[in-house]
Amino acid sequence: MESSKHKWMPYVWLLPSILLIGIFVVFPILIVFRLSFSEISKAGVVGGFVGFQNYIDAVNLPAFKTVMKNTFWWVLSVVGLSTLLGFIIALVLNQKFRGRKIARSILIFPWATSLVIQASVWNYIIKYEYGNLNNVLLNLGIIRSPINWRVSYQVEFIWECGVGIFVTIPFVAFCVLSGLQSIDESLYESATVDGAGFWSKLWYITIPLVRPSLSVSTVLNIIYVFNSFPIIFTMTKGAPANKTDTMVTYLYMLSFYDRKKGPANALSVIGFLILCLCAGVYMMTVMRKEDEG
Amino acid sequence: MKKFTSILLTSAMVLSMAAAVPAYAETDTIELDVIICQYGPNTNDWFLGSGMDGSNFVAKFEEANPGIKLNLDVVSWNDVYTEVDTRIANNNAPDILNIDVFANYANEGLLLPVSDYCPEELYNDFFPSFIDQSVIDGTVWAVPDLASARALYYNVDIFEEVGIEPPTTWAELEDACQAIIDFYEGEVYPWGIDMTTDEGQAAFAYYTWGNGGGFVDENGEWAVNSAENAEAINFALSLVQNGYTNPNPATQTRYDLQDMFAAGKLAMVIAPNSLPTYVADKGGQINMATVGIPANEGKTSSSVGVMDRVMAFKDDSAPDQAARNEAIGKFLQFFYDPENYVGWVSMEGFLPAVNSAVEALVASDESFGAWLDVLGSCQFYPTAKAEWDQVKQGVIAAEQNALTGADIQAELDALQAELVK
Repeated sequence: MESSKHKWMPYVWLLPSILLIGIFVVFPILIVFRLSFSEISKAGVVGGFVGFQNYIDAVNLPAFKTVMKNTFWWVLSVVGLSTLLGFIIALVLNQKFRGRKIARSILIFPWATSLVIQASVWNYIIKYEYGNLNNVLLNLGIIRSPINWRVSYQVEFIWECGVGIFVTIPFVAFCVLSGLQSIDESLYESATVDGAGFWSKLWYITIPLVRPSLSVSTVLNIIYVFNSFPIIFTMTKGAPANKTDTMVTYLYMLSFYDRKKGPANALSVIGFLILCLCAGVYMMTVMRKEDEG
Repeated sequence: MKKFTSILLTSAMVLSMAAAVPAYAETDTIELDVIICQYGPNTNDWFLGSGMDGSNFVAKFEEANPGIKLNLDVVSWNDVYTEVDTRIANNNAPDILNIDVFANYANEGLLLPVSDYCPEELYNDFFPSFIDQSVIDGTVWAVPDLASARALYYNVDIFEEVGIEPPTTWAELEDACQAIIDFYEGEVYPWGIDMTTDEGQAAFAYYTWGNGGGFVDENGEWAVNSAENAEAINFALSLVQNGYTNPNPATQTRYDLQDMFAAGKLAMVIAPNSLPTYVADKGGQINMATVGIPANEGKTSSSVGVMDRVMAFKDDSAPDQAARNEAIGKFLQFFYDPENYVGWVSMEGFLPAVNSAVEALVASDESFGAWLDVLGSCQFYPTAKAEWDQVKQGVIAAEQNALTGADIQAELDALQAELVK
């Protein structure tokens, strides 16, 4: 009697979450799929079925290629570099040194602050006219006249990636740190006795053992960064002419500025599928390696 | 017991969601959903807080009109399009909407003609030239709520120090810019340009209208790729390339320019009549004056008028259409009553849309008179044309592409081809 009750109890407790996910996640996704195959007027009135026309229109938009290229570099640079730097910082923070707790607390600030605030602050820092960076450099006598830190859209995009990396590092660092703290100290001691150096220990002990933490942080990061809207929208709004847009900011502009709602929905679905594919491939690769390991 | 508790908790959660759906349906009261755009920091307080003589618009309206309940939201300009479009997509359009555009809503049959709800006396009070901006196929679909006119503001102290006169032609503008650059050695930007997604269409209007071009031709047909337009935008781009302007026109909005002007870092900026209030609010003490927007040699200078609107959406589910229309009319009457409207327009720092407000406004601030004259000679964006959204974004994209080296004529040709397709 007791065991049969326990069989369905977990489902009862999960029901509210399942209902919420169903209403607020699954249902909107299904609606977007439906809208991507529907004719949608400029004012937002949903019309009849139009097959793949919205997808064809989306792919033929003049900015489509640029936006896809930007999205690729945005995700690759932010996820890649924040993972690398976050890993290094986690290694440092795992060492015993005076002020370690303070260093760990400071590290969380960029992650704990709202992205819109972060992006706005960086906008002020790199402002040409009265930006903090120019002021500091001028006061220190390093430069004689202000530098235009946003001299071209390519540079602006690099700044946006930089801010993306800056705010993402803490998340990776804390994920890796939790993995590092679970490694048994005796493994390093035995390796040291066997004559292993820093790189050998890193390669044969640390990396394999933090891989699960790293996998989780990377998959989550790919999803977060791909869907990240505030940094780009606050810093450039995709300007000039969508040259700094990523897919998410572009589809927002497409829907609510250009009022091309059909193609915007189609792009949204394309983004969702790309994300599913990336996360799926990555998870399968990592899980296979872990199984092999 | 545990089983019973878990079932109870789960049911409570599910039911709490269902309970969020309002269950009231009063038969005698007409409810109007109203969306108002946030023009400034005091808009919300005036409509919903205590900014209207210690009370607010909604409370006063409901007191004066028993039987009508207002569900009024003040929404920022950044969010209003998203909110309205989402509501329309969900068959939940507001009853009354205050926004700038109307053509899409009218063309898709979502709006009520103004004649269905606007009392005649009030209708006759609107400036006829404003009403004309909201006509499609002979039907008026919206009424103006306020307007602003743009003119060239210049920093008088800078001009006196450099020893130059405010420019009226493009050639004079280039000379003035060069003189300011030479005098301040680059410390002051002579000229402000905003080609951002916020207001890049205004830049297009400033230069093309000053060169005999514009968005449409004399027959009202799209003509964005005229030679005059390309020449005008090339002139604007030459100002950027010569270093006469703020360095990043694609990302520096009008508000960035106004901040620079308030800080004395920008000598000239095209701005609405609310600029002095804006500068004062920023703590700036700029000795400023206005002149017309410079035009090309031999061409007429034209001020740019910007007008927002109030419109009413259809609601087929309303049980008594006549009563609903009457309620909308009462809302408008109360809003445009000089006792309420004059306070609102002067608080927001804009220009009025009705004759009955002019006298009181001019009495309170003499500069209104001069601005009303400017408004009389303004050109407006062709917002009554269905493709306006596309044109607006298209000219901004063309400008921004040209800023990064693209050929403006080719960009405008491509936009025109898309429009006539």
